[in-house]
Amino acid sequence: MTILDIRNLNIELETDNGPVRVLDRFNLQLAEGEIHTLVGESGSGKSLLAKAILGFINPRWKITADRLWWRDYDLLALNNAQRRLVTGRDMAMIFQDPSSHLDPNDKVGPQLCETIPSGELTGIYLKRRADRQTRAERLLHRVGIKDTKDVMESYPHELSEGLAQKVSIAMAIAHNPKLLIADEPTTAMEPSTRAQIYRLLAKLSAGQGMSILMITQDLTAVVPESQRISLIYCGQLMETGPTDDVMQAPLHPYTDAMLSMSLFNQDTPVKTRLPTLSGAIPTLQHMPIGCRLGPRCPYARRACVKQPELRKQQHQQFACHYPLREDSEHE
Amino acid sequence: MIRYTLRRLTLLIVTLWLLTVFLFSLNYFFPGDTLTNMTGIRASDSLSYQLAAEARGFDSSIFTQYLRFLGHFSSGDWGQSLTTQRDVFKQLLPLLGGTLELSVLAMLLAMVIGAPLGLYAARQQRGAMDRVVMGVSLSAYSVPVFWLAQLLILLFAVKLGWTPISGQLNPLFNIDVQTGSIILDILASDNPYKSAALADAINHLWLPVIVLAIMPGTMLMRITRNSMLEVLQQNYIRAARARGLSELRILFRHVLPNAMQPVVRQLGLMFSILMSNIIVTEVIFNWPGLGSWLVKSIYERDYPVLQGGLFAFATLILFVNVVVELFHAWRYPQVRKELYAEH
Repeated sequence: MTILDIRNLNIELETDNGPVRVLDRFNLQLAEGEIHTLVGESGSGKSLLAKAILGFINPRWKITADRLWWRDYDLLALNNAQRRLVTGRDMAMIFQDPSSHLDPNDKVGPQLCETIPSGELTGIYLKRRADRQTRAERLLHRVGIKDTKDVMESYPHELSEGLAQKVSIAMAIAHNPKLLIADEPTTAMEPSTRAQIYRLLAKLSAGQGMSILMITQDLTAVVPESQRISLIYCGQLMETGPTDDVMQAPLHPYTDAMLSMSLFNQDTPVKTRLPTLSGAIPTLQHMPIGCRLGPRCPYARRACVKQPELRKQQHQQFACHYPLREDSEHE
Repeated sequence: MIRYTLRRLTLLIVTLWLLTVFLFSLNYFFPGDTLTNMTGIRASDSLSYQLAAEARGFDSSIFTQYLRFLGHFSSGDWGQSLTTQRDVFKQLLPLLGGTLELSVLAMLLAMVIGAPLGLYAARQQRGAMDRVVMGVSLSAYSVPVFWLAQLLILLFAVKLGWTPISGQLNPLFNIDVQTGSIILDILASDNPYKSAALADAINHLWLPVIVLAIMPGTMLMRITRNSMLEVLQQNYIRAARARGLSELRILFRHVLPNAMQPVVRQLGLMFSILMSNIIVTEVIFNWPGLGSWLVKSIYERDYPVLQGGLFAFATLILFVNVVVELFHAWRYPQVRKELYAEH
C-alpha cells in the first residue's frame, strides 16, 4: 500500500535573479515497510525533498504539486500546526553528522527521555518519570547499545559518531514512526560502523513495518535491503524502479554513468581514465532547459531540450527520450 | 574539571602575587618617604617610625623588606591612612560592603532586564521591536556613565525631586555600620524606625543602581540576542523540532541553556566594566564605597589607602572572573573538551 505519494512536486526558490526551480516535477511513491533509496549528487535537491515532506518549509519557497499525500492526508492542504501534528506523529528523520543534532549541553538520557511521547505514559509524575527511564533504556537496547547507563549519562561530545547516530535513531523511533527519513546517515563513518547502522535500519524496517527513505550520494552506499531506488539529478527524477532491476539493467544514461563510475574495482588496470560524465553540475542560476542532464549526456539529441515525460518499461520508470534499451513491445 | 580548577586557582594566586610585587614597588616610586608611603606613619613621629622601620626590615636588603611587607600585608596590617590615621584594612571592609551592594544589585538588574529583552528581540528578529530594542541598547551603551549619572540626577533629583541627590542614607537614622551594605545593616539593627530607614535607603539606592546597570544590561541584551539567533540556527534545534517537541519545551530546555553559554562567559568581563563604572558613580553619588574612597585617596595623596583600594579592586575583579570561568566550565562540559580534550 502506498503511504507516501508525491506527484509532480515543484519547489521554487525566490532568488535575486528570479525564481529558481530546484525540484522539477518530482515523483516518488513509497509503500508501507519499504526501504527506498534516493540517490543524487550534492545540490540535487534531495535534502530539500526531505524538508518538503517533513514540512520544514521556508516561507520563501514556493511548493506546488499535483499530489503530496501522506496516507489519508493531503499535506499541502493542512496548515502548519496540523501538518506538524501529522508529521511529528508519523515521521522521523535522522541526519548526517549526528552529534551536531544533539543538544551539546544536555546529557543523552534526558534528551532521549523527552522524545518519548507523554501520551503513552500513565500514573503519577514519579511513576511516569521512572517509566520514561526504562523505556529510554529499552530504546537504546533496540538500537544495539549495551551499556545503556553509561551512554545515558554521557554528553553528546563524549560519544563516537556511530554511537551518536544510534542514539539519534533511538530518538527517531521513540514514537514508532511510520516513515523514517535517513539523510546520508553514515557519511564520515568507518565502514564497519556504516554497515552496523544500515543493518540496524533494515532490521527496524522489517521488524515493525517502518518505511525508510534513505538518502545517499552514491550507488555504492545502496543497501541490499533496499527494495526500490530513485535517481535524481539537479532536481529532476531520472529513473526509478526496483533496486535490482535498476542496478542490473539501467535504462537512463545517467544511471548507467553513475553505475560505471561506481564499478571501479581491482580489475581496473593502472592509469585507466575513470569513466565520468563530461562537464560539471550546473549552478542553480544556469539550469539547462528541458532535460537538465542534456549538456552532459553522451546520448543527447535535439529532442532533449524538451523535458521528457516519465515513461514506464516493465517495472522501471525513467525520464529520457532515448533510453539505453527500447522495449518496443511494451511501449 | 579538577585540573581546570587547579589551573585557574594557580593563575589567581600567581596574579595576586604579582600584584603584591607591584604594590610593594609602588612605595619606592611614590614621592616622599618609602616607609611613610607603606605604613602611613610620618617620620616626625619618631618612636613608632623607628619601630616600624625595624619591623619592616628597613635595615636589611630589599628582598627582606619585600618578605616583611608580604607578612604584614597578609596578616591584615595594611598601614594607616595618612590623613585620618585610621587602620586601612579595618576601614576597607565596610566600604567593600557598600560597593558590593551596589554592584550586586546593578548586576541583578542588568540580568533581569537585559536577558529577557535580548530574548524578545531575537524572537522578533528584524521586526520593529527588535530594531527599537537594539537601537536603544546601542545608544544607551554609548553614553558615558559620568554624564548619564549627572543627567539622571538632574532629572530625577533636581527637577522631579523623587530621590535625594546623593548619599546612602539620611543621617537622622542612626544606623551602625557593620557590613557596609546599607540594607543588611538596617535589617540587622534594632532601630525603632527600621522600615522608614529601609524606605529611605532604597530611595537613595535606586538611581545609582540604574545608572550602573545600564552598561552591563545593554551588553547582555546584545549578547543574548545574538547568541539566541545563533542557537536557533543550530542543527540540534531543528532536530528537536523534527522530533515533534513543543516549541515551549525547545525554548526552555534547549535554546535558552545553550544561548546563555556566551552570556555566562562574558559575565566576568561585564563585571570588570561595572567595577570601573562604579568608581565614577560612587564619586558622583557620594556613595561610601571603595571607589569614592580610592578617588579621595588619590586626591589626598594618601598612599597606604591607595594601595589598599587598588588591591581590593583588583582582587575582587580577579576573583569574580575566576569564579565565572569555573562556573562556565562546570555548567558547559563541552567547553572542557575544547580546553583539554578530556571528558
